[in-house]
Amino acid sequence: MKHIHKGLVCGLALSLTCVAVSAQTEIPSGLDVDSLNNSVEVAFRTVEKNDLLGGVSVVNMKGMNQKAYSNYSLSFLNNEIAGFNGNIWGMGDYLVVVDGMVRDGNNVLPQEIEQITVLKGAAAVVLYGSRAAKGVVQITTKRGRIGETRINVSLNSGMYVPKAYPKYLGSAQYMTLYNEARANDGLVPAYSETEIYNHGSGLNPYRYPNLNMYSDEFLRSMYNRSEAIAEISGGSNRVQFYTTAGYYRESTLLKVGNAADNYTSRFFVRGNVDIKMNDYIKVQTDANVTFYDNFTASTDWWKQASTLRPNRISPLIPLSYLEENDMNSWNIINGSNYLIDGKYFFGGTQLDPTNPVADAYAAGDSKYVSRQFQFNTNFDIDLRSLLQGLHFRAKYGIDYASTYNQGYSNKYATFSPTWTNYAGKDLIATITQYNKDEKSGSQNISNSSYRYTYNLSGQFDYARTFAEDHNVFGMILANVWQTQASGKYHRVSNMNLGLQASYNYKHKYYIDFSAAMPYSTKLPDGGRAGFSPTVTLGWRLTGEDFFKNTPFDDLMLTASAGVIEQDLDITTSDNEEGYYLYKSILQRGGWYSWADLGGEAATEFQRGDNMDMTYIKRKEVSVGLRGSMWNKLIEFDLNFFMNDVDGGLARANSLYPIYFTQVGYPTSSIIPYVNYNKDSRKGIDFAVAVNKKVGEVDLRLGVTGMYTKSTIEKRDENYAYAYQSRMGKALNGLWGLQSDGFFTTAEEIAAAPQQFGEVKPGDIKYIDQNGDNTIDSNDEVFLGRSDIPMVLG
Amino acid sequence: MDRWQNLRASWQYINQFIEVTDKVNWAADPLVAEMFKERFKGDAYGMRALFMYHLLMAHAGVDVNGQLSGIPILLQSENLGSDFNIPRSSFADCIKQLNEDADLAISMLPEEYGDITDDNQVPQKYRALGVTSGQYTRVFGDNAKNRMSAKIARAIKAQAALLAASPAYAASGVTWEEAANKMADVLDKLGSNPVSKLDPTGNLWYVDGSQIEKMAAGYNAPEMLWRSNKEKSSTLEADNYPPTLFGKGRVNPTQNLVDAFPMLDGYPISQNTAYKANPYANRDPRLANYILYNGAKAGSQNKVITTAEDGTSNDALNKTETSTRTGYYMKKLLCQSVNADPNSKTEQYHIKPFIRYTEIFLGYAEAANEAWGPTGTGSHGYSAYDVIKAIRKRAGIGLKNGDAYLESIKSDKNKMRELIRNERRLELCFEGFRFWDLRRWKAPLNEAAKGIKIKGTDAPSYIEVEKRDYKDHMYYGPIPYGEVIKFSNLLQNQGW
Repeated sequence: MKHIHKGLVCGLALSLTCVAVSAQTEIPSGLDVDSLNNSVEVAFRTVEKNDLLGGVSVVNMKGMNQKAYSNYSLSFLNNEIAGFNGNIWGMGDYLVVVDGMVRDGNNVLPQEIEQITVLKGAAAVVLYGSRAAKGVVQITTKRGRIGETRINVSLNSGMYVPKAYPKYLGSAQYMTLYNEARANDGLVPAYSETEIYNHGSGLNPYRYPNLNMYSDEFLRSMYNRSEAIAEISGGSNRVQFYTTAGYYRESTLLKVGNAADNYTSRFFVRGNVDIKMNDYIKVQTDANVTFYDNFTASTDWWKQASTLRPNRISPLIPLSYLEENDMNSWNIINGSNYLIDGKYFFGGTQLDPTNPVADAYAAGDSKYVSRQFQFNTNFDIDLRSLLQGLHFRAKYGIDYASTYNQGYSNKYATFSPTWTNYAGKDLIATITQYNKDEKSGSQNISNSSYRYTYNLSGQFDYARTFAEDHNVFGMILANVWQTQASGKYHRVSNMNLGLQASYNYKHKYYIDFSAAMPYSTKLPDGGRAGFSPTVTLGWRLTGEDFFKNTPFDDLMLTASAGVIEQDLDITTSDNEEGYYLYKSILQRGGWYSWADLGGEAATEFQRGDNMDMTYIKRKEVSVGLRGSMWNKLIEFDLNFFMNDVDGGLARANSLYPIYFTQVGYPTSSIIPYVNYNKDSRKGIDFAVAVNKKVGEVDLRLGVTGMYTKSTIEKRDENYAYAYQSRMGKALNGLWGLQSDGFFTTAEEIAAAPQQFGEVKPGDIKYIDQNGDNTIDSNDEVFLGRSDIPMVLG
Repeated sequence: MDRWQNLRASWQYINQFIEVTDKVNWAADPLVAEMFKERFKGDAYGMRALFMYHLLMAHAGVDVNGQLSGIPILLQSENLGSDFNIPRSSFADCIKQLNEDADLAISMLPEEYGDITDDNQVPQKYRALGVTSGQYTRVFGDNAKNRMSAKIARAIKAQAALLAASPAYAASGVTWEEAANKMADVLDKLGSNPVSKLDPTGNLWYVDGSQIEKMAAGYNAPEMLWRSNKEKSSTLEADNYPPTLFGKGRVNPTQNLVDAFPMLDGYPISQNTAYKANPYANRDPRLANYILYNGAKAGSQNKVITTAEDGTSNDALNKTETSTRTGYYMKKLLCQSVNADPNSKTEQYHIKPFIRYTEIFLGYAEAANEAWGPTGTGSHGYSAYDVIKAIRKRAGIGLKNGDAYLESIKSDKNKMRELIRNERRLELCFEGFRFWDLRRWKAPLNEAAKGIKIKGTDAPSYIEVEKRDYKDHMYYGPIPYGEVIKFSNLLQNQGW
């Protein structure tokens, strides 16, 4: 369903001291409130935008909500960030880091965010370790600043108006087409002309249903979402604080039964305090609490709307069709707990003993409840007394999330009338009941789960400038985080050491070495420690004399190469956490029973050993070019990248007989997982912006884009014909039979290769690729990419 | 139809098991341990024979070099480093291997399992070791009933011999006489006059769930040579009952099958004139037992089911997706006292036969007719004619005329073959035999599936429900395509 959102934004800026909003920018220099605009949060440090070395994009969120409203933190990224299209450089699951902690991206609203940095290149993500190998989205939330206390309240209310619904076929049309389909199969019509007329005429829609689940009988024309958010911030030299609290509630389009009360609501409070203990020690503490509820009546409305046929059922039938003295029928109907508005009973048939409308009234309801609590604290100790420029920083955070469903699931009776016509008037002759009214009485609490994450990191960093021109930075760090979820024995975890050494001369020549040493217990003993080195070089061309008189204000060329070892893809669909995949499994499974007794489980293999399993490697070379021209009239940033993801897990089935694996019942295999698959990607992303001041208005027009090409380099496969091989083709390939138009005559069919089933003129003619005169799955070829190579934002 | 993957995997497990079983201490008591070892090994060999039979049925065939081939015979387990590029063994060698495995099973396993109370009942080979009745019972007692036994292994040999003697596999060199003798080996264990032991209710084992419930654990009625555990369920009924009985109407018997049921007097319908006007009157009682036709009654309430095209309920021909497409619903295998209404469901006990004696009798009749003619008995004292007469008598046809039709053909081997095959079709319908029988007989495969269209009081008309389009090479199944690509020595069957 498509929505347009008509928003009504009402922003209020209050200042307790009645200072005009603009006054906020006149805070003494040195405490630059907009410092973040020129500095960028990257992995474990902050750098000047000027000194970025490629593979990083940034968006400052301040004011973003005045330009475009959204309630999802990452919804702007597709447009604002070059190389981001739901994923980074086409790589799949990126890691979300909020204020240095691995967290969900959907538990922070855009209004709470100061800056989002997207770390794309291998060198940019390496310090975050193994699980960051597919890129990082790093969110930095707002913090308090020195100055008067500010209160900012925003109220926002909007209506969602469905733009269009799929068209629900009317009964008469459906039945006519159904008859036509049957005629094509040589069957007699299922519906008579009279029946079709009756359904189409609408004279008695209860006897001859003509259901339209998208009609205004069941749906509102629009539904509402309202929110209120308050922000309070301020602080002195020693202590700064920021706190925000908000609530939103979203209603529903449905107006049937209990579904009319469906809602989603979210309440949150976020706060942080920055304290300067003394000249050497700074402490930051953040906390966040979120209450999220989603209430739904137990009807699967939208799914049913796509499958329920219009002529099958009349969900609500008026009691007025019952004859007054038909005591049998009245007795049956009066047994129902659900006489809607005292006027209708639930319709049902043997084939459809339930229906979505009755579900909305009587099947019960469910409320999804989610509670999140997040807390983190940072220390920053200035060790200049030991060594000028040396800091020790540490972060610790714990997050708790718990979710559960509570609700009632009930059953209900429906009634199938047998109709008669008495003196030109339709009446119900008899009633058959299907199912029974059954209330469970007790509330179900289900899907109860909790999740617990802790993040811990510590780092020594050293930054110093020598003789004004030589800028040196060094850092060693240790980074650990783990998530424990209920029902999962193993934790998702990341453990790594990091090392960074950077040098630049006059911000003109740059060299950076960043490396991580991950440790993964998913790998066999002896192979658990990894090493991920990256090297980046940068050259500011505009720093050179020969570039002085060009239109370029700034032009920076970067080149980077690296290998990241990751255990992120050491996972399988039946073992998501991915532990012990290198070990064989022997388990009890399958069942055989005899003598009318209980029987015994068999022992079965699930896989073989592979004690040589290693990290999967992202090997990457990238080049970046960034700069601005004509006094920042034009700004641009582009990155070219080539990477291989090598060593993806696979079972090399083509090497072994098919019976090394059993499917169905029982299921077994003695084939191990090995590092086998290899994919390559290359692409270019770019962001170009034009800045112009027209009168008092700053105009900024920007475009971002990405072109990518992915190739499968190595797969385990077993094909007889070269054109079937997936290797050398795109990752998101569409494969299928190639059409050669339609058959027009029976002679043509007779002359063509054997197609599927019984072929008639009008059917698609497929091409017999291997010339064996039979169309089968061996004739499937690469038809094209299912994704779009070029995306623009 | 693919047996290759899972049964060869089972074969690999069995080979592994046979390799380690001698090293396993199966029980603390050394005598019991010894007996367990023998039982498990016999079990393994018997199962290997069984899996060979099913693998041959699905995958044996004439390969691209024109040789009648079976599967690669592997008697050792494989590992990741083994050479997998092994050619198929000949069909004859596979049968030989099957017989050897089954013979090992027969030598190691008892005829039947069951508790004993007297040490004198302990078989000689164990009694010599000093095994007591208690020790014997622990291994071979009631708790092991319906596991692989000598009796079952013998039946597998007979099934395989019948397959091998059939026209499609005649190149195996296995003769009809061998097949008849192997069938008789199974039947002779029933006593001196096996035909008289034909279970009078053997073809209706499924009708009374409450009787099955009351059956002692592991007990086999005379009809059952081997069966599954009894289990309480309503799934078969929910799948196959007509829609008004809350079923999904899945298996729809064809007119072709209905036409195969003779008249009550035992004559085929083609020789009867009254048939056309009233197709269900005076028919073989098995028709009403096995097939639900228009106007017949079914379900726990004994409700009339109308499958006529102009029927008003969802049971009518092609009324909804769950309605019959042929004008018939399946009745066999279903326990009519099951109520499939999800609202008032009642389940019943079911058993699934693995091997019924009726199958063995029919197998004997088929092979004996080919080997010795309709009334020839070989060395066994009963002929194909005797078996068929008993089966038809049990069915309730030709009772008043002394089965005149059977008498009329008892000297015609060809007509007798036709009749035996037809009886096999009727007796074993819906049990998974017909598909394989047609193939081993090399019978025509492309008869379209037909149905009946009944409207008002008009004479019924017959409709074509589904075409069949099998090519000649499809008398044999294929070797899985992916395996043939992987392993060059593994030759595909012709035409695939």
